[in-house]
Amino acid sequence: MTFMLKRRTLARLGFGAGAVLAAPGLARAQGGFPERVVEVVTHAGVGGGTDITARMMMVQAPSEFKQEFVVVNRTAGSGAQALQYLASKPADGHTIILVTQTHLLTQIRNRNVPQFSELVPLVRATDDPQLVLVRRESPFRTAADLVAAGKQRSLRFGGTHVGGVDHIAIFSFGRAAGMQQPTLVPFRGGGEIVINLVGGNTDSALVNPAEAEAQLRSGEVRPLLALSEKRLAGFPDLPTAKEAGIDCVASTVRGFCVLRGTPEDRVARLEQGLLRAMSGPIFKTYLENTGQSPDSVVGRAAWGAQLQAFHESGREALQALGLLR
Amino acid sequence: MEGFLGGLAILVDPWVMFMVFLGTVLGIFVGALPGISGSTTIALMLPMTIAMGPIPAICFLGAIYCAANFGGSITAIMVNAPGDPSASATALEGYKMAEKGQAGLALGMSAVSSAIGGIFSIFVLIIAAPLLARAAYSFGPPEYFALAVFGLSMCAAIGGDSAVKNLIAAALGVLIATVGMDLTTGVERFAFGIDELADGIKFVPVLIGLFAVGEMLDQVVRRAEKAKIIAMDAARVPGMAEFRKCNRSIWIGSGIGTFIGALPALGATTAALIGYNETRRWSKHKEEFGKGSIEGVAGPEAANNAAVGGSMVPTLALGIPGSATTAIILAALIVQGVRPGPHLFTEQPTLLYAVFASMLAANLFYLALGLYMAKFFARISLVPPAILWPFVFVLSIIGAYGPDQSMGDVVIMLVAGVVGFLFRRTGFSPAPLIMGLVLGGKMEETLKQSLIIFGDDVSMFATRPIAMALLSITAIGLFWPLIARFWRMLGVQR
Repeated sequence: MTFMLKRRTLARLGFGAGAVLAAPGLARAQGGFPERVVEVVTHAGVGGGTDITARMMMVQAPSEFKQEFVVVNRTAGSGAQALQYLASKPADGHTIILVTQTHLLTQIRNRNVPQFSELVPLVRATDDPQLVLVRRESPFRTAADLVAAGKQRSLRFGGTHVGGVDHIAIFSFGRAAGMQQPTLVPFRGGGEIVINLVGGNTDSALVNPAEAEAQLRSGEVRPLLALSEKRLAGFPDLPTAKEAGIDCVASTVRGFCVLRGTPEDRVARLEQGLLRAMSGPIFKTYLENTGQSPDSVVGRAAWGAQLQAFHESGREALQALGLLR
Repeated sequence: MEGFLGGLAILVDPWVMFMVFLGTVLGIFVGALPGISGSTTIALMLPMTIAMGPIPAICFLGAIYCAANFGGSITAIMVNAPGDPSASATALEGYKMAEKGQAGLALGMSAVSSAIGGIFSIFVLIIAAPLLARAAYSFGPPEYFALAVFGLSMCAAIGGDSAVKNLIAAALGVLIATVGMDLTTGVERFAFGIDELADGIKFVPVLIGLFAVGEMLDQVVRRAEKAKIIAMDAARVPGMAEFRKCNRSIWIGSGIGTFIGALPALGATTAALIGYNETRRWSKHKEEFGKGSIEGVAGPEAANNAAVGGSMVPTLALGIPGSATTAIILAALIVQGVRPGPHLFTEQPTLLYAVFASMLAANLFYLALGLYMAKFFARISLVPPAILWPFVFVLSIIGAYGPDQSMGDVVIMLVAGVVGFLFRRTGFSPAPLIMGLVLGGKMEETLKQSLIIFGDDVSMFATRPIAMALLSITAIGLFWPLIARFWRMLGVQR
């Protein structure tokens, strides 16, 4: 233990000295990147879905990079503290952040945290599309039934807190379908959302397939639409919203970013290495077992575009909901 | 039947039993340390269990879960620092017992009632899990609201010098529960732009501060008094007479714990607090409560361990976790390719019964370890305060920092410590404050959710039979003294 502590302190000192001496010295050592432990900072507490994603990625990353990876949990402020932690570290690629849509909404609502433009996307780890669900006894047999009813009255949708990712998705879905603005019934997490849907306390909900796995299999809830670009492998008969003429996609995404200013070759090295680590059997099995597609893992081009798109639509939705001052 | 026997077969599999034993020892250890909770340990162990195969992996994690809940009571009793939030009710009476020199009695009773509660809930799980899981669907926000009102209705009666002081403390707890992001408006309340407050004030630092640091400060003030060295009576473990006294409390706790644990939105901490309330309500020795009642240890300990089995009900039968820990166990199951849900009981009964059998084994292991080690742990109360309390203080800081690696939580813990000290000096008790903190937040949130569901029409509560039943029981409980007096008056007149 003492030995490890010493080694780590030495490494840190060594790095400090290197930075002071000269930047070219660093460039020469480039072949050795990462030269010390890579920190993965997440806003999720230990054991949360996002935290588990980070830990699953890390099973194979160390052998890929020949370096240890550690998770740093900075939970406060819906991602604010995780972003601040990232910004407090040098932009040298040794600190990467696990970003979700929550971070983007926090950035939009809180100008005091490092903004979206400060982040450089690396890779996406998971992309979990949402389904529009109703309970078994619901009078809505098809998406058209749901939309028709939604034009008559404001339907109650279960989701997470007001101004959160689910709220944005529900709002966007309602607007794309031409419904009256749905009423959000806020709950703490997917489990409660599903239970209250089955229990008849809400009319509908947007849920990731894995969150309602048991209820989908036993038929207690019925999916009406998939909010994905293409039909889902697990639900080949389920139409997408786009097929039904509703221009709306919504999914829970998680991926990695580094701070702006990180040298380009390091960004490329991290991108390629993380892509390879997450193409290994352990992460693949994890995706498969949680009902997510293996093509969740994509490089920075696609991941960056998706973040950019959500950054814009999220801002617009928050403004329309009157939650942005 | 085949599945049942196949599941029981793991009890003679030395490898699996070794993993269960290892999990139990680890669980007691981390449970006893404030700040390292069972859920953190399970999350950290999760990647290591991937290669084990489903049955040893789940048995190992399940054993940690069972044992950690018991382990929390050890530090709660010995140094007034609940190792796990669910042990806070245990600290209320357990630490008082330790001060009276009955640490061994309290520890032993905690081990026995924990094991009985745990085993009771596992049998309920085996017999009625799919049935009990249906109850989860009938519990929406209005029902949880009624349950929270029921739990809070007792707060005037427990703890401090007078009902007024208890109500003040409870109100303070409710106030603290309002800090942070409000679910239904998305607005931060009383956060003052501080990130650490934006997500609300967490239980763990408040509990550690109120109990452990508050007690330490109190000890400092009392330092002038001559330290009383308690005789070796500290090591005495409970005998038949104590069990007979606690029999009723243990069963009340087991029943309440199993039921509350089975409700996905409530966990072991709530189970223990309501278990404590009800134990007191039905006790024949009410006067002992607040002064170190052994029943007050038995009831909540049975309840929080029964909640462990209870919380496996929605996790296994619905695929919906009832606590932070079961959320991680669920993730572990999914990573292993096991799909929880109603079909688990027909498709993979062997695995299911193996989980039950391993939890049973874990309960028996910690019962044996707990009783054996009670004499050893009880000697902690013989350590001179000048050595013991600085050590507890260090442990408290680590404990507050640990779960979220946040210095903000350490500050909250220290503030709570000062509050705890002032409480002790002025005849207030932390018990109602904790009830307000745990149940008050739940009550506000579920009331708002109910009103959104009801379209702001309060009278719609009348359409929910379970909620109305719970509210009626609460009303009867509150007005019972009046009703009883009225009854007697009628009797006298006749």
